[in-house]
Amino acid sequence: MSRTRRGLFAAIGALAMTLSACAPSAPEDQAGPGAASGPITLDVWGWRQEDAAAYQKIFKIYEDAHPGVKVKYVPYKADEYDTILRTGLSDANGPDVAQLRSYGLLQPLVAAKSLVPLDDQVKELSGFPEPVLDGARGESDKRVYGVPFAIQSLHVIYNKKLFAKHGVNPPKTWDEMTAAFDKLAAADLTPLATTITDTWMLPIQQEIFGATSYGGYDYLEKMRTGAAKFTDRPWVESLTKWKSTSKYWPRQFEGVSYVDAQALFTSEQAAMFPGGIWELAVFGKSNPDLELGIFNVPPPEGAATAKTLVPGYVDGSFGVAAKSPHQSQAMDLVRWMASPEFGQAFSTELRQISAVPGVTPQDPLLAQALAAYQADPSPYVTYAYFSGGTPTAWDLASEALSTFVTGRSGAEDAAKHIQQGVDQWFKPTQ
Amino acid sequence: MIAAKVRPARSRGGYRAGRVSLGWIATFCLPALVLYGMFVVVPLVTAFSYGLFRWEGIRPAEFAGLGNYQEVLTRYPLNEEIPAALWHNLLFFAGTMAIQNTVGLGLAVLLYRNPRGKRLFQTVFSLPYLISPLIVGYIWSLLLSPTFGPINFLLRTAGLDAWARPWLGDPDTALPVLILVNAWQWIGGPMLIFLAALGGIPRELEEAAAMDGASKFRAFWSVRFPLLMPAVGVITVLTFIGCFNLFDLVYALGGSDGGPSGAMDVLGLLYYRTAFEGGTNSIGESSALAIMIFVVVFGVSVALERFLRRREVRM
Amino acid sequence: MSRPESGGRVPGFAAHALLWCYAALAVGPLILVVIGSFRSNADILRQPVGLPDSLGFDNYLRAWQTASISTYFANSIMVTVAAVALCVAVSAMAAYALSRWRFRGRALLAAFFLSGLMIPAKLGLLPVFYMFQSMGLIDTRPGLVLLYAAGGVPFSIFVIMGFVRGLPTELEEAARLDGANEGRLFVSVALPLMRPALAVVTVFQFAPTWNDFFYPLVLMRSDSKYTVPVGLTRFFGEFATDRATLFAGLVIAIAPLVLVFALATKQIIAGLTAGMSR
Repeated sequence: MSRTRRGLFAAIGALAMTLSACAPSAPEDQAGPGAASGPITLDVWGWRQEDAAAYQKIFKIYEDAHPGVKVKYVPYKADEYDTILRTGLSDANGPDVAQLRSYGLLQPLVAAKSLVPLDDQVKELSGFPEPVLDGARGESDKRVYGVPFAIQSLHVIYNKKLFAKHGVNPPKTWDEMTAAFDKLAAADLTPLATTITDTWMLPIQQEIFGATSYGGYDYLEKMRTGAAKFTDRPWVESLTKWKSTSKYWPRQFEGVSYVDAQALFTSEQAAMFPGGIWELAVFGKSNPDLELGIFNVPPPEGAATAKTLVPGYVDGSFGVAAKSPHQSQAMDLVRWMASPEFGQAFSTELRQISAVPGVTPQDPLLAQALAAYQADPSPYVTYAYFSGGTPTAWDLASEALSTFVTGRSGAEDAAKHIQQGVDQWFKPTQ
Repeated sequence: MIAAKVRPARSRGGYRAGRVSLGWIATFCLPALVLYGMFVVVPLVTAFSYGLFRWEGIRPAEFAGLGNYQEVLTRYPLNEEIPAALWHNLLFFAGTMAIQNTVGLGLAVLLYRNPRGKRLFQTVFSLPYLISPLIVGYIWSLLLSPTFGPINFLLRTAGLDAWARPWLGDPDTALPVLILVNAWQWIGGPMLIFLAALGGIPRELEEAAAMDGASKFRAFWSVRFPLLMPAVGVITVLTFIGCFNLFDLVYALGGSDGGPSGAMDVLGLLYYRTAFEGGTNSIGESSALAIMIFVVVFGVSVALERFLRRREVRM
Repeated sequence: MSRPESGGRVPGFAAHALLWCYAALAVGPLILVVIGSFRSNADILRQPVGLPDSLGFDNYLRAWQTASISTYFANSIMVTVAAVALCVAVSAMAAYALSRWRFRGRALLAAFFLSGLMIPAKLGLLPVFYMFQSMGLIDTRPGLVLLYAAGGVPFSIFVIMGFVRGLPTELEEAARLDGANEGRLFVSVALPLMRPALAVVTVFQFAPTWNDFFYPLVLMRSDSKYTVPVGLTRFFGEFATDRATLFAGLVIAIAPLVLVFALATKQIIAGLTAGMSR
């Protein structure tokens, strides 16, 4: 046995000799095919497969104004996109412009120096608010690496016809809200189509129902200086308050997936769907007859604030690949993406809130969402702010909240899981 | 590395190899060796070397020695997830052995004794194997959904409301369901192997036992089953390796976090999360984790194989 | 003399009832998908189990038009057939040498090959990516073929070796006495005897290779070179909420494979069973 194994390692060792050939190395720069003549094609990679057609339409505007440049949106499967992009950016055959995730998920690309910093190249960025640029900033050097494209705000989306039919209005207080839920439940409807098995939706729902309990940005400030923790009363309370609505969740909610929840809502078996504003486009497509409305959860008794907070965050940005053979053309495209023209087209075609300042969505619901968010904004704490190290608060929260909602742990334990993980790397600012 | 001298074989069959020249040995072995070496072993060894560095994205930043190993083993919550995932892999292996392989044997015996329609049944039972585990996972998660799933719908229609559970959402039922769905997909494998092995057993043996007055049951256990041991050995080792490579199906059924409260978290998912959802140093950490998984699986498989072969000889 | 099998413990009809039950379990879920592909999405959500109102092919039309499935199919067939053929060819040779000839380093070499069985599937992805990059194999079908063929070598050698060990050696000895060299011996004597094992390996390699989506997802760049599973992942993203169309897409993706195998397994299983009982 031992002889065999020693021999095995010897054999592996011999093969290791050939290894130098395969270490990651910079590929030889190929002469850009577009350098000489003919139109050049800029590849824009992204993770929104369902938006491919809309992006093509948006880029048509740019192509018309810039003869000689073709822009192609190349979407990949969202789950594997990060890996594909990391490897793709190391290669001149990769993207010229890439859709980048925000906050912590952006950092590996920055660390690998795969992206071109944009602060001094794209003047338009100076018009963007600082919290929006936070989504595209490198943690280590504080430079901006992408032009943010969308702001996602989080709400309770409701079915107007069902609300009217059962005499329910968007609630102004927490008690009004639970009374409305009771009324809908009595009518044999599922009040809230919640997502449980797709764990990434859990922290989103926790923010929607719990933001007022801990108090949004004020609490976040204290957390960043180390004066408050996930394990402190207000944040733990946000979990408890959220779960107190569980009697209004679907029957056997433990097994309800994201797609199930969406289907419950679009087939009008559920009256409300707590989620991101991006759902409007999804719902509209799968059931054009739905009349949609949005509201945010009013503060419960004992909440840290009397305002009805609206959580939101930066969804992502567009950055320029350092290895792109067409860097100046890519930079032009990204500059255009910071312009109101792009912002307006983006908002109209994709039914989302553009991150470009001054762009007002045509869609009245989107406009309502944006106005509400701008009036009483609240951070998506676990995703946006404790994501600069490993493990990220977002990963920890997804795990902890799954354990919490399936009844395997209490709110304190769930909070402790997040705090303990984050404590390993988080340094409070002085 | 491979010596040219060919020794006369001392094999059981009394087969004496002639002198086979180095040229022939190279001609036969080199193509496979080069292919396998280049595209399987070299990447593995490369991964080993990756695990020794601290990475910044896709750039190796500094030599870290065993730092990544230490990081993976001590960092919360990985330090608790690794043993939990290992335990789930073992449970999955035990469950698969108990269900997939015994049902597979049962079907093989039934088919062997009732050959009418054998080919049809073989094809039908093996059908799920052809489908991508991702699709299998997707189909079953739809079937098992508590809201729109036909399974709970049928249970409720039959008045068995208490039986209608949130199958994939309940930490108690998630892993058993995973084992069953996996068995549903792969049952054709053990069935075919057992069926082939049964066909290879001379019928006279069992008849002799029957004439000695042994019951059918005894005849099976004392005569036929021992002769199936080589097949059992092959299936056990393959099942073990398959169980520890489990990824696609559990990913499709429970997502990368391993289902409700991590009840279906297995080593394959843990590796995936570290490698593809990890932070800046994900290449270093995931490579270290992968090497550790490899060492465990490799060690146990070798031991298992030896143990089974020894038993086989004794029987 | 063998008696008729009627004396078994389980009476024939009960055994067949059991077999039919399991058959229903095996294909039931697939049949639900096929039925679902003819219904409307709203109908499926209202009533999970039910028959279609009418036999329309709208879902199929939509699924077919959205994804360029015919291109994906051609790619999948090319890559899978080439990879499995290459894998089986080199494995058969190596396995034969390893189980028939005694030479120094044989056990070591066998252990070296078999250790590959135990490598977690996605472990090598990043190293493979960089290797492909330096060799210019990114976005090429031959690159995928080499990768899949190599990945199948350990399992194929494992199965074929086990089979060859159990084969009688008399025929080969006789041929050797007649003066045949090792190459001839392998091609004209051993290979025909190994057919059942080769068939088994082909079956067991074909489906996983066909179904893999991870490598092409990361290593392929152009739409025209994607394989069916990668096409499907796009499809999943686009039709997540439209189950009816999704079902139709799944049927389109699965059906040809099932058809080919339903025809081929007949031969394969026949060969397998005959070979083992000889």
